Amino acid sequence: MRSPALRKALAILARDARISYSYTWAFWMSLAGVIGQAVTFYFLSKLVGASSTFSYNGRSVPYYDYVAVNLAFLRFQSAALASFQRAVRGEQLTGTMEAVLVTPTGLSLLIASAGLWAFALTFVEIFIFLAVALVLGLDLSHVQPVTTATFMLLTVLALSPLGIFAAAGIMTFKQQLPTGLLVGGIASLLGGVLFPISKLPPYLRSVSWFVPLTHSLGGIRGAVAGATVWDMRGDALWLAVMSALLLPVSLVAFARSVKRAKIDGTLGDY
Amino acid sequence: MSGGDALAIEASGITKSFPADYRLTTWFGRGGKRGARRTVLRDVDLAVGRKEIFGLLGANGAGKTTLLKMLVTLLLPDAGAIRIDGIDAVAHPIEVKRHVGFAQGGERTFYNKLSARRNLEFFGTLADLDAADLRRRIADVIEIVDLGDALDRPVMSFSSGMRQRLAVARALLGDPPILIFDEPTRAVDPVHALELRTLIRDTLARTLGKTVLLSTNSLEEAWSCCDRVAILGAGRVVAVDAPEALVARFSERRRFAITFDSCAPGLESRLQALRGVSNVEFRGAVALVSVELKDRNFTAMLAEISSDGSVIRSLRELDDALFDVFRAATGVEADA
Repeated sequence: MRSPALRKALAILARDARISYSYTWAFWMSLAGVIGQAVTFYFLSKLVGASSTFSYNGRSVPYYDYVAVNLAFLRFQSAALASFQRAVRGEQLTGTMEAVLVTPTGLSLLIASAGLWAFALTFVEIFIFLAVALVLGLDLSHVQPVTTATFMLLTVLALSPLGIFAAAGIMTFKQQLPTGLLVGGIASLLGGVLFPISKLPPYLRSVSWFVPLTHSLGGIRGAVAGATVWDMRGDALWLAVMSALLLPVSLVAFARSVKRAKIDGTLGDY
Repeated sequence: MSGGDALAIEASGITKSFPADYRLTTWFGRGGKRGARRTVLRDVDLAVGRKEIFGLLGANGAGKTTLLKMLVTLLLPDAGAIRIDGIDAVAHPIEVKRHVGFAQGGERTFYNKLSARRNLEFFGTLADLDAADLRRRIADVIEIVDLGDALDRPVMSFSSGMRQRLAVARALLGDPPILIFDEPTRAVDPVHALELRTLIRDTLARTLGKTVLLSTNSLEEAWSCCDRVAILGAGRVVAVDAPEALVARFSERRRFAITFDSCAPGLESRLQALRGVSNVEFRGAVALVSVELKDRNFTAMLAEISSDGSVIRSLRELDDALFDVFRAATGVEADA
């Protein structure tokens, strides 16, 4: 017997999956794009020779191994930043915002569930990306499953508040904010996606410590290299503390944005 | 209509305003610094009894939808109290939403690319139905609104009337005791509008015993559906009563269609000359006659009409008397 909250979350997941799949071509093309990215970076990595620069957990790896893992799991950040605001924007544009909010369902459940499909799809995309990368030579023989799962969960929890803040922005301002460009772009630059943080100047290196992606990708790279959660406890603790701090604050911010819309009469506006 | 327990819906002293324009202070300012606001409702009281069909009648922009949205917690009042089935709507919105089904007007309230069944499954789950109840309720409500043949079609293929009926089905899913309809027959052709009114009045209210509150700017709808009507004008409730009582209070004028088997020469001018008759319009053998009935004996008037040899075949009162009530109460020319 499923709890009402779980039933509702699964209903939202199923709705988003059906709507996403109803745009059949866009759905399959986005998955094809994942393969394209994995292959493109394989050839780009040929330009970068083997170097001890790309090492984690005491193991030197080729550049492709470094960048492939980062790019695969960077998708979590993209999903977190985009999914919640896309969900709110979608309800505004289809006109279903009020129809959903008039049901006896809590706001926190509604907004948290709005990211489920995006994260589920991201899992599939990561799987496809890594499968292609594996064929192209990525070494996953040392993967620590528990560490990987732990950091995937912590990544979702730590990055989702940024997306929920963005959703609150859309609820208030009725237009998509350049969160992906600002937060996503800066995080990708400082988070060590395409090159190690050690290559950044010292003052930027210290800034990168405050970027969730730095700790998320650091942990995932460690997991791929066989590190345990205890080995990566610094990054894990950072993500856990940020999740605990930001998640409730982001939910409160979203609830306040909805309350403001109910006061100003702009709930269904877009 | 006194005593909280007898009331399904109770609103008192409701005032609501919206920002007159949007600027940074609208979002971030506090109190008086939040910019100018446009008041839509002023000190509105409303009391709807259980199993009553209650109409909110008003011109466009009168505040009908604003009031309804506050009752279903989609808007917050600036001042006043709202109780639904005795529950404070501002303090306990989730609980209130379990007692109310809200059918919005408008074309875009469903996921158009999904079928009616998928839409109802989604909204039904959000209305706290489990899988078994959901299947049963969808079958029930689809039968009530007669959309069985279209259940597995995407909503994008639905006509306006079908969407309205689907909105009614969605409102019924959780089997709430109170149903609120926002202009249920807007953009619906006359035949389907009549079907919807019959559904609301006979099936939902009389058979299923639901309390129904509907907003409308159709005088015909208010007249034919509602036990009582509140007229909203300039953000206030200007009158509340049964449609017939409102007519009696605000208007002594009645319009009749009198069909003649034979008309004596000069009938039209004699009709015009009758005391209390304000307007006569002939369409073939049918005379549309407006009469002020105050201090006027109707039987005697009919005898006068036929005294010259004209033969009356039938007489029918036209039910547009509420138009005068609306105009008298609000000072607005109705668009009906």
